[in-house]
Amino acid sequence: MMPKAREQKYYITFLMLAACYSLVVIALADYMRNKPFLERLGYIPSVNTLKVFAADHKQLLSASLMLKVQIYFGGLIEKAENKLQVPADYPAMSRTIDAALKLDPYNMDGYYFAQAILAWDVGKPDLANTFLEYGMKYRTWDWQLPFFAGFNYAYFLKDYGKAAREYQRAAELSGNEMFINLAGRYMQRSGKTEMAITYLGMMAKSARQLSMKRTLLTRQTAFLQVLKIEKARDTFFQHYAKLPTSLDDLVHAGYLPVLPRDPYGGTFFIKNDGSIDSTSGFAFAAVKK
Amino acid sequence: MANLISINLLAIFRDKVFHGILAIAVIFLLIPSISSLSMRQVTELSITLSLSLLSVILLLLSVSLGATSLWKDIERRYTYSVLSLPMERSAYLIGKFIAIALFLLLTALVLGAVTCLVVWLSSGIYPPERPILWSALILCVIFSALKYIVLIAYSFLFSTVSTSFFLPVFGTISVFMAGNATQQVYDYVHSPAAKALSPLLKHAASFFYYLLPNFSAFDLQINAIYAIPLSLKGVALPFIYFCIYTPLLIVVAAIIFARREMK
Amino acid sequence: MNVIEFTEITKVFRGKKGFIVNALKSMSLQVAKGEVFGFLGPNGAGKSTAIKILLGLIRSTAGSARIMGVDVNECSARLSVGYLPENPSFYDFLTGEEYLRFVGRSFGMDPSLLNSAGDRILRRLDLWEARKRPIRGYSKGMVQRLGLAQTLIHDPAVYILDEPMSGLDPIGRALVKEIIRELKELGKTVFFSTHITADVEAVCDRVGVINKGTLLTVDTVASILQRGVEGYVVQRFLPDGTTDRQLVPKSDLHTFIEQSIASRWSIERIEPKRKDIEAFFLDIVAVEQRHETQG
Ligand SMILES: Nc1ncnc2c1ncn2[C@@H]1O[C@H](COP(=O)(O)OP(=O)(O)O)[C@@H](O)[C@H]1O
Ligand SMILES: [Mg+2]
Repeated sequence: MMPKAREQKYYITFLMLAACYSLVVIALADYMRNKPFLERLGYIPSVNTLKVFAADHKQLLSASLMLKVQIYFGGLIEKAENKLQVPADYPAMSRTIDAALKLDPYNMDGYYFAQAILAWDVGKPDLANTFLEYGMKYRTWDWQLPFFAGFNYAYFLKDYGKAAREYQRAAELSGNEMFINLAGRYMQRSGKTEMAITYLGMMAKSARQLSMKRTLLTRQTAFLQVLKIEKARDTFFQHYAKLPTSLDDLVHAGYLPVLPRDPYGGTFFIKNDGSIDSTSGFAFAAVKK
Repeated sequence: MANLISINLLAIFRDKVFHGILAIAVIFLLIPSISSLSMRQVTELSITLSLSLLSVILLLLSVSLGATSLWKDIERRYTYSVLSLPMERSAYLIGKFIAIALFLLLTALVLGAVTCLVVWLSSGIYPPERPILWSALILCVIFSALKYIVLIAYSFLFSTVSTSFFLPVFGTISVFMAGNATQQVYDYVHSPAAKALSPLLKHAASFFYYLLPNFSAFDLQINAIYAIPLSLKGVALPFIYFCIYTPLLIVVAAIIFARREMK
Repeated sequence: MNVIEFTEITKVFRGKKGFIVNALKSMSLQVAKGEVFGFLGPNGAGKSTAIKILLGLIRSTAGSARIMGVDVNECSARLSVGYLPENPSFYDFLTGEEYLRFVGRSFGMDPSLLNSAGDRILRRLDLWEARKRPIRGYSKGMVQRLGLAQTLIHDPAVYILDEPMSGLDPIGRALVKEIIRELKELGKTVFFSTHITADVEAVCDRVGVINKGTLLTVDTVASILQRGVEGYVVQRFLPDGTTDRQLVPKSDLHTFIEQSIASRWSIERIEPKRKDIEAFFLDIVAVEQRHETQG
């Protein structure tokens, strides 16, 4: 029990602290509002809910979501290699990656995966680029994001102006002039396959997960075969001044020793415009687009 | 006061709950191997996991120690024998609080050292693309401890008004959740997306934003994980905030506790 | 100066559903220095309530209380008090020795003095063997004895003991009585509550009887003993050897002795026959209850 005088002392302390508090809390609120990497709003509600419950474990939750996607994808690749046709739920994967990146916009696993899967397997390079551009706002030091985005612009979207801009950025961030050169070479049609091979090689080199590395190397093998065919086609064109009607022409004319095999299990064919494609579409699973 | 602090520290060290919680720290050993599952950010993942584990342990400690300490003394009728000694009730309360806060800080420092070790090991497995910002990592651990000390102050405040342990335990957990969400709710309510909300709701949101603790201000995990340099303001402001907010809670708790009857 | 002083202390407990308990009704009481005061009353009489007010554990609804002239709301009032709570419970993660040290330090005792006093008191209360064991493992009697030990450790002038004999075996009870007598010899003031009349008879100077929050009477044990005399047992014999024992009412003693002498009886022994304090206590309580039912 407190006598009056001491009780008063406590009330005075309380009032003084409360006054200090009101000053500090306003300064703090101001700072928090202008915090540079504060996540802005307008997400899907489920991510919002996730965020509230994640409390200060947002990065952990993000990492665990990515882990889930990776495990799902790893299992998919294994089944595909065993010739099992499993329809991949790409929208769900894309949604999960989205949530993971909203929770932790710095999570590189998310961008890497978005690029590797969305651009190639799902055939949505523009969606991949939306992710990459979101990430560039946070990972301001990272040259890989503009590198991926530039590749998507050049290879898939054929927007060479934007591609050049992204490569410029990658070059500045990494201090590596190679990206500028890459940009130039995309302008030529024949360079396209070669660039894809280089690009896939680089991605595979930095891939840590085995299933991811295998995916990338398989795709690279496919493109190496395509390159072989393209070279044979070009020689054929030089000699005959016309495009071969089928790949068998190239074998019969002796420009290809054997018909290259598609690692995805499809058959290569030559399109009317002379470009090389495969019945597999360069993917294992049937793609739900 | 030193007498009270040492007795309360002894109480924590001899408590079984504490031993159980520390056993969770063994999970730190698994972090390097889990981290190597990441595709691109082994070191980053190891920092994420370590900091989150540390945070969970500190949360468990602050709820189990903060919310039950006073309640246990009253429930087991230790208060009769202790409060009848010639000491102020406020001294008893503050001594207890300081003991738990010190203990939490100590745990944070020890586990912070373990975190550094784990991160260093992981970065040896697969070098990070950006050098680890050790200062941010250490500050993140310290600020995490500060955040939970504020939470303990809240648990004390709840303990002084309640006779059961439901309010202290669940009140503390609610404050933890609310404290982590206030910034987001506040941002949302004041964004263009929330134009349709009633002004009353917005005022209520602002009121609670200023009343409840802002734990987002103590969250330096982004800086620690992605080696983003800290601004002086980002460290100083939350620290000053802590230095005022905590005593404020404790003074209120002391006023309430001094009026309480030990029936 | 009175060591303990209650002035018109009233305590009302307010329960959740609006029920109220008048635990103390305007009680005034003084205990002088060097007195051993017994606070006697049945369970629920308000003894512990009064003691908790003295220790600042609860606040009186009205009235004031002082120890050595200091208001009990000041924590310095407790500096010269050794308090044994009812059914005490101490930090059970500590050992007996550690607990005594904690209490001693709370009173600002000098460490070397604390050590020697601690050892002596642990031996005196038969806790020496158990001093290094956690209190968690103590029996009820051991905890009670430790409770007494922690009141003695800082050698205070005032002892406030709430039911000090409860939970003890006969040896323990004898020990407590012995300690109270020793304290009395040292000139200390002891205020203890009990519901057992024999305890009061054995050690007290004065007794206060309380029931249902009202202090019924305060008197010296000697006076109560005097008041309780109902008559005398007179033993007498004739020259031929016949002996005789008779109970004589107090008022008839004089005439009875005169008559006896006249009839050649020799008086061998006259013993006062008195109500024991138990009967006395029951009487007081019964009178009080009768008043209540009538009123
Ligand atoms: N915390 C409390 N709330 C309500 N009533 C109480 C409380 N403590 C004691 N009382 C009541 O006050 C009266 C006196 O109790 P107490 O002083 O403990 O008696 P004693 O110690 O003489 O046995 C009893 O009727 C008891 O029921
Ligand atoms: Mg009692």
